[in-house]
Amino acid sequence: MRAKEKRLPDDPKTLDFDRMFLPHMGAAYNLARWLVRDDHDAQDVVQEAYLRAFRFASGFRGGDPRSWILAIVRNTSFTWLSRNRGSDSPAEFDDKVHTREIEPRGLEADAVRQADGVMVRAALEELASEFREVIVMRDIEGLSYKEIATAADLPIGTVMSRLARGRAKLARLLKERLAKEQ
Amino acid sequence: MTCDDARVLMHALLDDELDLTKALEVQRHIEGCPECARAFDMFAAMRSRLKDEALRFEVPSTLEENISRAIRARTPEASRSTVYPSRRASLSQRAALFALPAALAATLALVIVPRALKSGAGQDLANEVVASHVRSLMASHLMDVVSTDKHTVKPWFNGKLDFSPPVNDFAKDGFPLVGGRLDYIDGRPVAALVYQHGRHVINVFIWPSSGDTTSEERIETEHGYNVEQMIVDEMNCWVVSDLNPVELGKFAALIRQKG
Repeated sequence: MRAKEKRLPDDPKTLDFDRMFLPHMGAAYNLARWLVRDDHDAQDVVQEAYLRAFRFASGFRGGDPRSWILAIVRNTSFTWLSRNRGSDSPAEFDDKVHTREIEPRGLEADAVRQADGVMVRAALEELASEFREVIVMRDIEGLSYKEIATAADLPIGTVMSRLARGRAKLARLLKERLAKEQ
Repeated sequence: MTCDDARVLMHALLDDELDLTKALEVQRHIEGCPECARAFDMFAAMRSRLKDEALRFEVPSTLEENISRAIRARTPEASRSTVYPSRRASLSQRAALFALPAALAATLALVIVPRALKSGAGQDLANEVVASHVRSLMASHLMDVVSTDKHTVKPWFNGKLDFSPPVNDFAKDGFPLVGGRLDYIDGRPVAALVYQHGRHVINVFIWPSSGDTTSEERIETEHGYNVEQMIVDEMNCWVVSDLNPVELGKFAALIRQKG
């Protein structure tokens, strides 16, 4: 047993882990960065998540490594947020309100196309985290609904409705910013 | 199709996530409904703005190297943040890393002061288990899988753990199972089952017993939380709650019988 503990630096397990999970560090960092909204903290979160993943790696039995590592990054981010900044208060979920009613009135496609990039970014940063995370995973990282369902541990139907609501809320935030600018 | 339905489904259409029949149905609605068509154009524009590379944060170049090094070293100095002890870590490594729960408790702004009279690894574990219990209540992370059905909760752990925890519902005894989640105790992933009794939440942490843990059962009070430890079918079971010791004892007896 003792001999096993003193692994050489690059034993097969470590190499497998590198091969499978290091390519997804970009996605991992981007998600953590959008969730904790600070570069240094996001680096800490990704590092913690990868160390956890390395421990959990024996429990990884196939499947999509990107969704798997993102699930750990997501959990680590939320744990980090609640530990360091108090709970990132969850947005009020009112499923009785139709998505259509959340959408802003009279926001035209052209206005969205011409909006300043800084403004789009700020609106997304302002969005509640449960919507922000699915939009980051879908629109920025290009994950499928199924992959998001795995990473965020949600049913696929919820992924769809959360994206619809998230984008409607985002449109509203963007419109508020556009109105202020004028 | 109503406008309300279309306003949700159009997002799945944009994301190419609908089957052909449904996609045609949504398209047909949009073609016949100016209001939905406007919303669709606006969201399509929004989506292409979001895909803009500029919104993606690039990984700092040093991060990969840092992580690579931390994984290979896995010593307390190797990582700036939390390091989890290896399950196979030697005893001396373990002893060194037992300082971790205390550090964690401090960041929780919880005053968890080890009691002078108690000592040893069991005490550190008790602190760690209580810290996990408290954390699960503070964060919106009490449960990863929300279900009162043991046939949903048990399979959920498959592939996430290298063991299969015993999952039972004790609803008829007044302790309904409400869900489960993955947690991290004693340097390894563990199963956490969540039960409820009235307004009290009970966390049960389960992981395989290594055999070197003391097998004596005990109940104690830790910072206002009652903690009961036992070994059932070669599994370490730690039960934590703010429930009074008598009721918690009843619950523990149920676990012991069913285990």
